[in-house]
Amino acid sequence: MDLQILIGILKKNLLTQYRAYPMSFFVGNILTGLYTVLGAWFMYKLLFEGRLSSDFFELTKTNDYMGYVIVGSLTYLFVVRTCLNVSRSLITELREGTLEALMLAPFKRVEYFLGNMLVQTMTTTMEIVISLFIAIPFGLNLSNINLSGFIVSFFIALYAFFGVSMILGCIMLYTRDTYISQNTLFAFLFLVSGITFPTKYLPEWLNICANFIPITEGVILIRNTALLGMGIEDLLYSYMKVFVLSTIYIIVGFGVMKRCEEAALEKING
Amino acid sequence: MIIAEHLQKTYSVKVGKGLKTEKQQIRAVKDISLQIEKGNIVGLLGINGAGKTTTIKMLTTLLAPTAGIYTMDSIDAIKYPKEVKKRINMIAGGERMIYWRLTAFENLWYFGQLYNIPNNILKKRIEELFDLVGLKGKENVPVETFSKGMKQRLQIARGLVNDPEYLFLDEPTIGLDAVVSKELRQHVKYLAKQQNKGILLTSHYMGEIEELCDYIYLLNDGILIEKGTVKELANKTFHRKNYLLNIYNTTNDILDTLVTILKSIDPSVIIRQENDGVHINSKDSMSLELSRICTVKGWYIKELYEQEPCLEDTILQISKEV
Amino acid sequence: MRAFIKTLLAEIKKQHKNYFHSKIIYISLFLWPLLSFITTYYSFQTFDLMKSNVIYITQGNVIIYLLIGYMVMSFFRSLVQSAWNFSFERVSGTLELIYLSPTNRAAVLLGNAVASLFESIIVMLVFSVFMLILKKEEINANVIPCVVLFLIIMVMASLWGMFLNSIFLFSRDSGFLFTILEEPMEIFSGVKVPTELFPVWAKVLSVIFPLTYAIEGTRRVLLLGSSLYDIRNLIFISLIIISILISSIMIIINKVEKHTRMTGNLTLF
Repeated sequence: MDLQILIGILKKNLLTQYRAYPMSFFVGNILTGLYTVLGAWFMYKLLFEGRLSSDFFELTKTNDYMGYVIVGSLTYLFVVRTCLNVSRSLITELREGTLEALMLAPFKRVEYFLGNMLVQTMTTTMEIVISLFIAIPFGLNLSNINLSGFIVSFFIALYAFFGVSMILGCIMLYTRDTYISQNTLFAFLFLVSGITFPTKYLPEWLNICANFIPITEGVILIRNTALLGMGIEDLLYSYMKVFVLSTIYIIVGFGVMKRCEEAALEKING
Repeated sequence: MIIAEHLQKTYSVKVGKGLKTEKQQIRAVKDISLQIEKGNIVGLLGINGAGKTTTIKMLTTLLAPTAGIYTMDSIDAIKYPKEVKKRINMIAGGERMIYWRLTAFENLWYFGQLYNIPNNILKKRIEELFDLVGLKGKENVPVETFSKGMKQRLQIARGLVNDPEYLFLDEPTIGLDAVVSKELRQHVKYLAKQQNKGILLTSHYMGEIEELCDYIYLLNDGILIEKGTVKELANKTFHRKNYLLNIYNTTNDILDTLVTILKSIDPSVIIRQENDGVHINSKDSMSLELSRICTVKGWYIKELYEQEPCLEDTILQISKEV
Repeated sequence: MRAFIKTLLAEIKKQHKNYFHSKIIYISLFLWPLLSFITTYYSFQTFDLMKSNVIYITQGNVIIYLLIGYMVMSFFRSLVQSAWNFSFERVSGTLELIYLSPTNRAAVLLGNAVASLFESIIVMLVFSVFMLILKKEEINANVIPCVVLFLIIMVMASLWGMFLNSIFLFSRDSGFLFTILEEPMEIFSGVKVPTELFPVWAKVLSVIFPLTYAIEGTRRVLLLGSSLYDIRNLIFISLIIISILISSIMIIINKVEKHTRMTGNLTLF
């Protein structure tokens, strides 16, 4: 990996983000987080007055429903924001006509996507931190957090999100569509990745599906460390699982991406 | 006839300064008066940041002038924009401004409905328009499969769908190849001269304006700085005359004699010998003198003509002066 | 009036061809609400469904209760989408051409809203069939209130679409409006949680959305078999909303045209 290229890409992305960072976009993102939490709060407090089903504790090891949903939703928001931007980066270049120029430069895709991912992680982290403060009145309680475990989980989860972004990026570049493919996929991920309810509630085949998406385990990792206070040693098996799964995603993603790029360039000229 | 007198347009624009936004007044058009008669093609030329677009938008009633008078066939166009809208249309260059997913026919049909044209008349008119712009046989093809030139032709047809009395053409040939642009120029001429429409044309191509326009308005920085026919503009701008004289078997003696005689008539005359002949730049007209000298001296004239500056020269000269 | 209808029909036809040309649109109209519905259904499983605070929710009909919410919501949502689509007309320059013509602006906006209703009705039909297959025994409805309510919802939805169109059309940052309109609509209109349980501040917000009344009415009519007399309050409020929407649309259209002629761009907000 070439550090100079990575820094170049980082700088370019930071600059474009900083210069054209729309305030409304920021507000919109925080609102999305707020709405999800608010929706859950309405259900929990108003409709069911805090009566959880009997198997909720068995499946999640907690009775803190709001904490469960808040951490889940914020993690999901993180997935959406990073995946969205990393996956979209190439297709944006395609639309703005810079893809060809990019292809001419002899750099590795890894650096390109990693640069994108890092910038996105920075901005998203900032947004999520603000959202965290908003979530406190809704009953978010992080007093049990295991910090070292959380940090490791966070990076492992980032790795997982990166893998998913690659696959989504391929789909976007292949279909040359962002709107339909991304929204369908995100709605699907929201359903199967255990964001607002344990995946065990899903029908068997969807449950199996969920197991092969690294986000599912990533969310569990974040919850276990942030809410239940589990440490690194408790989660070694999970770390391994996410790492292996994500690596497969990344390898497959990069392989397919190359083909998609070529196909996309041919389509421009054709 | 369109009569616009002392049109002005001032925008207030919000300018971001850090966190605050400040309102700034921008005077896009300061004072423009012009006339468009039916059957005439009027050119609107601008030197940097001239206010051309704002002027066209005011004339098409998309913008209300801040001050000034604008009448169309004695209708107050500022007060009754809807009446004006029925009588005009606009054709712009580029590939926008049509629905790509609709077919050519559907596009024209849709805009025809917006103008409340009775369907039997509309149908006939669309047929005629397809004929006029040479898109016959492509009526039911989606526009997204059209080439640039075809889209531009459809634009023209669209601009004519309400059979407007006045037509505004904003850079209609931008990005088109030579053949299509030429065809388009023929259409424009036909519309003005055969169909008696009043046409306002803006273009970056001087040749186009020169070929088509009966009258030209020249804008700079929101103000009308010159107007006239191509010839009038040239005469106003270039006070000196340019001649080219080509004599059979030109020798140095001949040249010396010529210089001596011409200098005695006009001491400021500039003469230079080039491959294509002798170039003479004089204060006043000298065609009579030149032919007389040649006759008296017995030189055989191969060529003698006054070199009129083309519009491009004129504009370049004017923009140097402003 | 003739000119109005001509423009209206032309606009419907145009939007229909322009945006619903590919079947992919049904994914956004149908698949997304469906996925969202399924997610919510499973989210409900985390709670003790035996004891809810609303008369028309029982363990047996909770799925129908939610389906109705999502069905009516997708009806309104398609109008948000059509408004979003319409805002592209500004980018493509065709909006300027519409403004160049002497046509009635309200007819254009209405046409655009109505165009998306056709697709919505198809989606609604699919949802209804779904409901009948799933839990026929839980549906308890009379024909007349159903028909009347359906008509009211149609009118309300079209006007809501027109209203959004008028806003989206003239706002620079329509994406932003999208986020502040679409998600709150889902939360505050009682798609998941009936608005009657809301605290006062949330009730105030729910009042804004016509969807609130549409959902509440539909649930009462389909689940409780309410008669027109039973839901007279809802009908009355809907009629008030309809008149408020009509007048605001007219005001916005006038204001925008004036503003546009002053500033030369179609951006009001």
